[in-house]
Amino acid sequence: MDSLRIVPARETKAATTQDTSNSFGLHDTLQYGPRSLAAEVTTNSKIRDRLENWEATQDNLKLQMHRQVFGLHMPMRLMMERKLASYNPHMPVLPQSNVHLDILMGRDELLDTADFMMPASEMTQPLDIHADMEKKLRM
Amino acid sequence: MAAASVYKGAGFDFSNEVRNNFLSERGIPLPKATSTGTTIVGCLFKDGIILGADTRATEGPIVADKNCEKIHYITDNIRCCGAGTAADTEFTTALISSNMELHALSTGRKPRVVTAMTMLKQMLFRYQGHIGAALVLGGVDATGPQLFTIHPHGSTDKLPYVTMGSGSLAAMAVFEAKWRPNMERAEALDLVCAAISAGIFNDLGSGSNVDACVITASHTEMLRNFVRPNERVQKERSYQFRRGTTAIKKEEIRSLVVEEDITHITGRGATEGEAMDTS
Repeated sequence: MDSLRIVPARETKAATTQDTSNSFGLHDTLQYGPRSLAAEVTTNSKIRDRLENWEATQDNLKLQMHRQVFGLHMPMRLMMERKLASYNPHMPVLPQSNVHLDILMGRDELLDTADFMMPASEMTQPLDIHADMEKKLRM
Repeated sequence: MAAASVYKGAGFDFSNEVRNNFLSERGIPLPKATSTGTTIVGCLFKDGIILGADTRATEGPIVADKNCEKIHYITDNIRCCGAGTAADTEFTTALISSNMELHALSTGRKPRVVTAMTMLKQMLFRYQGHIGAALVLGGVDATGPQLFTIHPHGSTDKLPYVTMGSGSLAAMAVFEAKWRPNMERAEALDLVCAAISAGIFNDLGSGSNVDACVITASHTEMLRNFVRPNERVQKERSYQFRRGTTAIKKEEIRSLVVEEDITHITGRGATEGEAMDTS
């Protein structure tokens, strides 16, 4: 991925069931409703892809420039530090914060919409704890 | 082994997207947001910047707020007028104000207008115009007075006098006729009020009063409701009825105080006064 893109590329969506898969790898009808081919294959969501890939694309740009200017060791060390900082042995309990990772990613003194506009944590289902733990341990 | 993502994510929940697309294909429209449909102006004068705005917020054809505040606080020496969707301008300016404060604490210097402008334009570009905020950003910092305009898609202009909003053409006509460089404060304030008044009287989306804000190197003065060309006249007649207009036909008084008499019933002599054992 030698590109210096600033803005996420527009990807054509491949049909995938990864978004809605349960622990067996199949579509989870209980949580997400019946499968719909139209919903999986077509996409009208340019803004969603753009927003979800924004940070990753900008980050990739910076790491690519580091690589071109300083050599491969520079992005490698940065990613190694991030991986070390993001190790989390705890259960995915709802409030989680990682100041070290925030500092490494450069967002320790920045506020974004996600920081103050998330709905109250009482709205998430308690069953998510088991599903998250399963996903985490099978990784 | 898939590692947990180090990125924070979009912050928005797109799970209703398929449903919304389906509904809009069926012809059911999205709900209308409160828009400001405004006239906002900014102009450079000898000592700094004057920002002006009207005070009407509309929701389609209805006036939602007759006296809303469109000049938002970014830092002590920087202010931002907002046109477009009211919620978008308020939350965007509040977010950038918080980020500017953190940045100023981190650098230890007085905040600059170009910093706020860069933060705003990068955020609006990321959302591709879905955040409907057209802003006029002005302030005086260490490099002098600066005046910028930011469009909803993220493009910016740096100009000595700017207007935005639905009444921008009316206000720009006044500016083009009368603006000249290095005006005095009183003259510049009159010009700004004339421009906003042109928007108030000639545009349906703008109305009510004129707000102004004068920013100089030493201090910032917020002139809320500086001119009120649309005050409601007092009604000519009074519609209060005097006491005794309607005759009283029947009067009934019910006492709401309940009086109780408690009579203790004792046992058969031997167990007199023994309380129940509830241990």
